[in-house]
Order: sequence, then structure tokens, then C-alpha cells
Amino acid sequence: MSASDAATLRVDRLTVRYGGRTALADVSLSARSGELVALTGPNGSGKSTLLRAVMGLIAPQGGSVRVEGANVPELGLIERARRVAWAPQEEPIGENISILEYVRFGRHPHLAPFANEGPADHAAVERALRRVDFWEERSRGIAELSGGERQRVRLARVLAQETPLLLLDEPTAFLDIGHQLDALERVQAIARQERRCAVVALHDLNLAARFADRIVVLSHGRCVASGTPKEVLSPELLADVWGIVADLRWDPVTGLPYLLPVLPMDRPPLAGTVGPRPMARVHVIAGGGSGAELIPRLAREGFEVSVGAVHLFDSDAELGERLGVAMATEMPFTAISPPVARHLEALLEACDAVVVAPVPTGSGNLANWSILAGWAGRRPVALLPMPREPSWDFTGGAATRLREELLRSGAEEVGGVDDVVRWLRARLPDTATRSSRPSA
Amino acid sequence: MNAPPGEPVPREEAAPPRRWGPLPLRVLVPAIVVGLFALLVGSTALGSVPIPAATTISIFFHQLTGGFVPSVACPGSVASHQCAIWTEIVWQARVPSLVLALAAGAALAISGGSLQGIFRNPLADPFLLGLSSGAALGAAAIFVLDVDPAHQAALLPLAAFLGGIIPGAVIYLAATLSRRGPTVLILSGVALSTFFSAILSAMLLYNPSSDVSLNFWLLGSLGATSWSDDGLVVGVTLVLGTVLYLRAREINLLQLGPEVAQSLGVRPQRTIQWTVLLTTAITATAVAFTGIIGFVGLIAPHLVRRLAGVDYRIVLPLGALMGGIVLLVAWDVAVAAIPPIVIPVGIPTAFIGAPFLIYLLYRRRAPGGSALDA
Repeated sequence: MSASDAATLRVDRLTVRYGGRTALADVSLSARSGELVALTGPNGSGKSTLLRAVMGLIAPQGGSVRVEGANVPELGLIERARRVAWAPQEEPIGENISILEYVRFGRHPHLAPFANEGPADHAAVERALRRVDFWEERSRGIAELSGGERQRVRLARVLAQETPLLLLDEPTAFLDIGHQLDALERVQAIARQERRCAVVALHDLNLAARFADRIVVLSHGRCVASGTPKEVLSPELLADVWGIVADLRWDPVTGLPYLLPVLPMDRPPLAGTVGPRPMARVHVIAGGGSGAELIPRLAREGFEVSVGAVHLFDSDAELGERLGVAMATEMPFTAISPPVARHLEALLEACDAVVVAPVPTGSGNLANWSILAGWAGRRPVALLPMPREPSWDFTGGAATRLREELLRSGAEEVGGVDDVVRWLRARLPDTATRSSRPSA
Repeated sequence: MNAPPGEPVPREEAAPPRRWGPLPLRVLVPAIVVGLFALLVGSTALGSVPIPAATTISIFFHQLTGGFVPSVACPGSVASHQCAIWTEIVWQARVPSLVLALAAGAALAISGGSLQGIFRNPLADPFLLGLSSGAALGAAAIFVLDVDPAHQAALLPLAAFLGGIIPGAVIYLAATLSRRGPTVLILSGVALSTFFSAILSAMLLYNPSSDVSLNFWLLGSLGATSWSDDGLVVGVTLVLGTVLYLRAREINLLQLGPEVAQSLGVRPQRTIQWTVLLTTAITATAVAFTGIIGFVGLIAPHLVRRLAGVDYRIVLPLGALMGGIVLLVAWDVAVAAIPPIVIPVGIPTAFIGAPFLIYLLYRRRAPGGSALDA
């Protein structure tokens, strides 16, 4: 049918206000048959509100919602229910009816007033139940189902409604990772094979990226991005919308992007996670990704971190930049110059302790070691163990000698990142005076 | 239709046995109908005047079939003038009471079942929600106000309905506006019920000219009835009960919460409003002729749900039959307990109903939300 080219759902400049608060502002989106569109955004961004407004459960203050060309608010309830099916995150379980009876409820809009279900209805219910692999278990009571089973049965109820448009509000809520994948795989298959259009609210971006043909991102009731997962997902968007630092990576198997959240930016550490010395300042010598675990961890533990010297565009330099820590940076492919060396010395002077990551060392960053060796003894220094293979020392042994010199002059080798945190806590008792809290 | 070829179209018979509703309808419905009729016939033997059971049953069928089977009302050993008196007693006094028991029991059960459905509250019952006492107060006003007896029969149900409107509106608002649990709805109803009963008691105590017995209104009676009263209760219950039955599918959908119901094409507010209005009318009609009879509307739908599952298309009609059985049994107990006195029928229903309510209160799972909670 040529209808497949036209949009099944077209939302145009939709605005919804609740008691003075604007829940949706000028949101536009469209979705075609065969497509799974993920609606994503932080909590309270308006995902559920948008689905409810499309279903017609909320009257919008402006804009229009069209399903297969028909204006939803003008449709009668039954007409709406024949075009749009909606599954909320959670439904009350009143009586313990059977799965079969529950899924049969989806046929209501297709029944004449006061009529009972006919053969076509029974066939639709059976198809829906087979689709979610529940036909054989149709006489079980819904109150006995687990969360994952309940989600599948709810999907069957919505499928039995046989609408061109499916609205699913967090169909993976309360599910473990296996059931999350299972649920979305089914929705994707249904959309593609039955040429239906599924609009799914999902707060999990990786699930959205994995299964959605297109992603629509809402933030504070506005549509801030829309497109394929590749087009939409970017570290900038994540920083803007969710306020998180995340690495965007590519799944080599699916060829799809996925995200690895790092930690919240410009946000104070959570209460209770902060150590007794929130102001204790730790300088980290890293580079080449050797600080990838250490630097964010120290920041999360409540230490004020500085980094350097590192080269611009080095992954540790980018990490430091995202975290907003003080850094001494040098231009790429250049040896550490005197001004950067002075900057490093200033950072060392300002810190309470130094931690050296297993940093691959060449002529470009050898000066880190020599400056630290010349300055040793004035602050506690922890050295993380260097890998035996591959070699980290590209200076013909100069860096190794400087490291041994540091160990002789009081630096300590500490086993891992956890040990570093413990070591710092033990080493910096008196810095508690820097915090506003009285020392214990 | 849209079933793909080769895929078998499922049929009702193909459904596996329901674990949660053990009895299939083809067993349950005949059992209930036969049980009800047997109970009705047997109950003719009970009364303050001792009449042999064989005779009352014979009279019952003779009258029922218009003198056709058996061709004489009483067995040959009964003198004809005695037979005439007994026929009068059985057909003009006893059977009307029994029919009223069936009709009022059905009315209360339909009301209770519908209210339980729309409020998603297993404790809902016209008596516990105060509908019955409101209606009783309205009906009693007709006696106290000395209305011309010629108009009383017609005005009684109307006055009862007006009396029931107040608790009806209150429970509607309490259920749809309050986000408190189902127990709060019932407690509000019990408070209303107590309040109306107090006013009713005061009205009847300070109006000694009225020949209406206080007990009759407060605890219910089926004794003072006639075929014409029965006709009214049966007619109203049948008509309004059918209207409610036609909304049973919507009541089913309300179990999924108001938003899901709306997404499936039901206007939850409208269904709830109509149902409260209709149950008020049905309850009021029954109460106008029986006084306050508690718990029938609570017990009967629960029995049916236990036996046949929770589809309201089954709960309402079968619940009506079950309500008839429950009230008939209660009436038999009321008649036979301390002969020749007939105790108020609300006493036996309370003896079964109060422990049943306590059982429900303790058995219930985690409390749900208000009727309009998602």
C-alpha cells in the first residue's frame, strides 16, 4: 500500500500545560509504519506526557496529533482505540483474570456495543498471544505472572487491539537486562513484520540506540534532537540533556553506537560518598589513557584533582577537560616546554599528594618524571605499578631510572586504584582542617 | 476476516480449563437455576401457620400453572374450605414474600457487584456504602409525612431513590476524588449509613402515629408484601439490571485503571456515574419494599467470582441469581428460626455477612488506590 510512505503518526507543534507548568512545548515528530521510534529524555522530560497526548488521554493546549491523517482529538474514543493502542508503564492488577481474558480486553474497540467477541476477535487474540509466546499458557492468572511476563502479556493486549500505531511507555521498566532485550526485540520484529508503527518511551539510551530506527530526544518538554541513533547520539547531547560525560563507542557487531556514561559533570559529589577531606587536592601524572580509571574515581571520591603535564588531544587530557580539573597541557608531539613545566610545578606545589598512573613515557613527557624526582619528598607520592608487557618506557631506560630514584626517595608503590584511594585517605589525615567540617 | 489462512480459528471450547474459576458455566448455570427453583418451591412450606409441605408445593404448582398441574390445589384429604384458606396463605402471603426475596436479593447483588467493579473495591456493597439506609430514610419519610396511602406504593420507590441520591453522590465523590484506599471508602459509607439510620430511628420513634414498624426499616422484612409490590421490584430490577449488564464489558475494562480503559474506548467517569445512578435506583426500589437488608450485595458477587471467575458479564447475571438464593435462605431462616415469630431478615444476613466482611478485610492483598487511580 502506498500508505506506508505517508507518516502513520504526525505530531505537529504539540503543547501541553499542566497547572501552569509546560509539560510539552512545540513538539513535532512523525513516525512511519514498520518503524520503531524511541522517545527518550531524562526523567520528567515529557515522554509519558507525549504518549498520553497522542493517545488522547490529555487534551493539548496547542498543536495537532494526526494518526493516518485523522486528527486524534476529533475522533471518538472507539475510533481512537482502533487506531492507537497504549500500554502504560504499570497497570493495576485488580482481579486475577486469566491471560486470555486480559488480552481479550484489547478487542473492546472492535466489538459492536453490547456484543460479545466473535471468531475474528478470538483469532486476533490468539495471534497476539502467539506473538509473545503465551498462547500455551493463556489460562494462567495474570496476578501470578512475573514482571517480565506481565510486560509481554501487556504487549499482547496492545497487539490484539490491531492498531496501526502502538504507544509503549517504558516497556522495559522493572525488567532485567535479558528481558529488556527480549521485549524490545519483539517490539522491533512486530513493527517490521506487521508494518506497524511503534513509538516507545525508553530512558535507556543504549536500548534506544540498539533497537530504534529513529530516536527523538525530549528535554524539559522540548524536542532537542531527532534522527537515526548515529545522527542523534553525541557526547555533546548527553552533556546538554542528561548532564553526564559519556563516551560514544561503536558496537563492532551491530555497527550501532552505544554509550558509556562516565560521571556527572559540574555536580558536587553525592552526600555520603565524600571522604572526610573533601578539599584534599591530588595531582595525577597520567597520559595515554593511563588515568582513565584513576582520574574520575578520585574526582568521585571527593578529591580535588589536577592533571599534568599531558598533551592536548591525549585521551587523559580530554577526560580532564570534561571533568573540569586543573591541568598543565602541552601541544601535541612536543616535549614539555619550560612554561608547562612551571605550570606543573605550581600544580605540584598546590597539591597534598601525587599519584603517578602507569603512564607510557617517551621523550615528550619524560620531563614529568624528572620534575617529580627533583621535587620528591615534599609531598607523599604513590606510584601505580607499571606493566611488564608492553614496555612503557620509550626513553631507553631514563624513565625507569627516574622511577627507581623516586621509590628510593620515599615514593610508594600502590597496587591499584582502590588502594590509591585508601592510601590517600591514610596519608592525608591533617588535611581535614581544610574542610569546613571539624576533624573527628 | 483478517485471520491468515491455515491458522486455526480458536473457539471457546478449545480454551483450556480455567484454574482460577473452577466451574464451567454449562455446569454452574443449570445448577444455580435448579437450586434456586427448588429452594423457592421448598420455602413455601415455611410459615407461622403449619401447612404440610406436600400441600404447599401442590398449591404452588397448581397456582403457577393456572390450575393445570395438578388439577386440584390440595391433595384429596384436605377439606375444600381448608384448601381455600391455605391457598390464600401460600399464594397471597408466602409466595409474594419469596418472590420479593428473589427480586430484592437480585437487586442488591447486581448493585453490589457493579459497585465492586467500578470502584475496584471488593468491599463495596449498597448497605456498607450507605445507599440502603439513605433509601430507607427517603422511603420512611413517605410514611411520616402521612402521604395518602393510595399514592404510597408509587411514591415509595421514588422517595427511596431521592434518599439514596445523597449517599450515592457522596460515595461517587469519595471514590473518584480521594486517593485513599478501598477501606476508607467503606468506612465513609459505614459512617453515612450509621448517620442515616440514626435519623431514621429518631423519625420513627417520634412519630408514633405511623404504623410502620421500626424494625422493618432498620433490619428488613419481606412479610408485608403483595404481588403488585413484587411486580414493581421485579420490573425495575430486570430493566435496570439489564442496562447495567449491557455495561458489564466497560466495568471489566475499568479493572485496568481509568486511563487504560479510556485508551480502549471507555469513558471511565461516565461509566462510573451511570453505574452509581443505576445501582442507587435498583437498591432504592428494593429497599422501599424490604427495608435495609445488609451484606447480600457483598456476599453474592463474591460467591460468583469464586465459582465462575471475574468477568462482569457473568458476575452480574449469575450474581443476581445468587443474591436471590442468599436472601431466600436468609428469609427461610428468619421465618423458621423462632416460630411463630418472623424475625427481621437483616438479622440472618448480618450473621453471615459480618464474619464474611471481616474475612475479606483480612484476606485482601495490599490496598489499592481510589477508583480513578491509574
